[in-house]
Amino acid sequence: MNGFLPGSDSGPGIWAADVRFAEGTMEYKVKIGPEIYTVDAAPLDDSGSTNMVLEGETRAVTVSAVTPNHLHLRVGCRAANLFVARTSEGSWIWLEGRARLVQEAGIVERRKARGLAETTCEVTPPTPASVVRVLVEVGREVVKGQGLVVVSAMKMEMTLVAPYSGTVRAVNTQVGAQVSPGEILVEIDALPEG
Amino acid sequence: MKDCQMFSKILIANRGEIAVRIMRTAQEMGIRTVAVYSEADRQALHVLTADEAVFLGESDPASSYLNVDKIMAAARETGAEAIHPGYGFLAENPAFAERVASEDLVFIGPPAEVMAKLGNKTTARRLMMEHQVPIIPGMTTAAADNSRLSAAADELGYPVLVKAAAGGGGKGMRIVESRDALAEAAEAAASEALASFGDGSIYLEKYLDKPRHVEFQILADAHGNVVHLFERECSIQRRHQKIIEETPSVALTDELRDRMGAAAVAAARAAGYVNAGTVEFLLDGSGEFYFLEVNTRLQVEHPITELTTGLDLVRRQIEIAAGRPLPFAQADVSRRGHAIECRIYAEDPGCGFMPAPGQILFVRAPDGPGIRYDHGVYAGYQVPLQYDPILGKLVVWAEDRPAAVERMIRALKECVILGVKTPIEFLVDVVSSEPFRSGRTHTGFIEENFVQWQPDRVLDDIAVLGFVAREMAGPGFALEENARARADEWLSPWQRLGTWDLGR
Repeated sequence: MNGFLPGSDSGPGIWAADVRFAEGTMEYKVKIGPEIYTVDAAPLDDSGSTNMVLEGETRAVTVSAVTPNHLHLRVGCRAANLFVARTSEGSWIWLEGRARLVQEAGIVERRKARGLAETTCEVTPPTPASVVRVLVEVGREVVKGQGLVVVSAMKMEMTLVAPYSGTVRAVNTQVGAQVSPGEILVEIDALPEG
Repeated sequence: MKDCQMFSKILIANRGEIAVRIMRTAQEMGIRTVAVYSEADRQALHVLTADEAVFLGESDPASSYLNVDKIMAAARETGAEAIHPGYGFLAENPAFAERVASEDLVFIGPPAEVMAKLGNKTTARRLMMEHQVPIIPGMTTAAADNSRLSAAADELGYPVLVKAAAGGGGKGMRIVESRDALAEAAEAAASEALASFGDGSIYLEKYLDKPRHVEFQILADAHGNVVHLFERECSIQRRHQKIIEETPSVALTDELRDRMGAAAVAAARAAGYVNAGTVEFLLDGSGEFYFLEVNTRLQVEHPITELTTGLDLVRRQIEIAAGRPLPFAQADVSRRGHAIECRIYAEDPGCGFMPAPGQILFVRAPDGPGIRYDHGVYAGYQVPLQYDPILGKLVVWAEDRPAAVERMIRALKECVILGVKTPIEFLVDVVSSEPFRSGRTHTGFIEENFVQWQPDRVLDDIAVLGFVAREMAGPGFALEENARARADEWLSPWQRLGTWDLGR
């Protein structure tokens, strides 16, 4: 499900399921302890500012790197100094006495899944959103990574992509619908292996 | 040793933050310093701080910091005139003090016979009783047979505490609630004591409910002068080991402080004490205090006394060892403000304070008004498995207790250590808590108020956003390691393989 594998029929340029693009926006799944947080982030502008949507809430974020280990972060009207140390497991982040090992959930999953058969994943929005476009209909054959539904949250669009190749069995949504994480918007019958 | 002639070189038979702290005073006094170190400590801060360093051997303590022959050889080889033992390791080992003296070197600490007398709890209890220092009700001789223990326990009334005569640090100690649990607890305590101290003798004391741990710093010179430097309250403990200490104690009135101080001086005189020492008492809810033990060494928590009295205890130790008289009397000793110390260990407070060794990836020392940070770590330092996992001590001073509490919270939040687990977040929560702020401290404080402590998620959102911002910022953040790792994830095996030749 992650990366593009040489020889896979999905072709080059298909991004991992945990990072999707819509007009420059990236989705991150970030893990702290048992919790996984989903963040949609538009690219940083020249001043290091952007909007990020964390669990459905939009935050204005400005970042500056003071040193390689020291980030100054402004979130809304709150200023914070973060100290960061990278390891192969993720990044240790220090904030006001709290040290947290922060990991990219996609990387964690990739490590766990390495060498195993690809697992399925569901077509569901990462955050409460409204449906902007539906790109497929029932019976359509799709390839892994193909766009299925475009949703919008806080002025940012995200394209939900096919987690695996197959045939669309059901489309459970329509343009303008308000959708939440966990709702399966498109169901796909997987192509038989081989 | 020629009297009053100051040493020109001393050896510090210890490691970590305390070795560094002792070296700093020695350097200020114009005394050259010799570090000793083990395999695990080749690049430890105390080795980097000393004028000279001598390798002792393998990392296990028996081959290094507890190896008397090797330490004595290091002292001879470098021409050190005195040995400071720090705390732990050989600091309270009378045989070591004896050996140092027998080789015509000066042991910076009390005489061996004083240490031996005070090191045995039952002997010390008898000595204090004879000199009218109040002791915890209980036995003054060790006993092995259950009938004697049982009779003593009946007389004291349950609950009772089984303690190791040679004990310390909570080892060989058991609380016994009822008669039928006594025999088993006594046996367990005795075997633990035998394993820890090579001496399985045990005795009984009355168990005090929720006492405060209040200790008095004393200084005694070789000329018969003894003073105390007021108290330290060390009630906040986990696994019977102190983690937060403060002075003054909120539980002491001036009248009680005077009485306890006088008792501490009497205890030191009774033992013929010389050098710096600490007389520990338990203080119960009714204001009664009882002698616990004398620590015949520089204490971990000595900096809070230094900050409130303005005295350098290591300087005083070295001068006393050199034979100089104390330059002040009791009436000259004063104190000002309030000081708190938090001990920072490599341990996981969310998981039973399990030691958590590993590599320190980044540190940033707190600073600003009223902050002192005694530590032995730096970025890249590997915290060894073999030793006590103390990384440092964060100490603050402020004009009064509420200001000191706020200052400690700020200092802890500024005290960055990344790479190993530390209790810093836990300490912030303890110091911020209402029971601590209101001074309702006792030796069961952590068990009573923080037994199921876990890190909160209050600021996780900011950490997540910071993480994402850093990921997005890319090259500006020198994303060396992980950038490569992530790129690797998306490369084909052909790209990952690098250069290779067919046929090899």
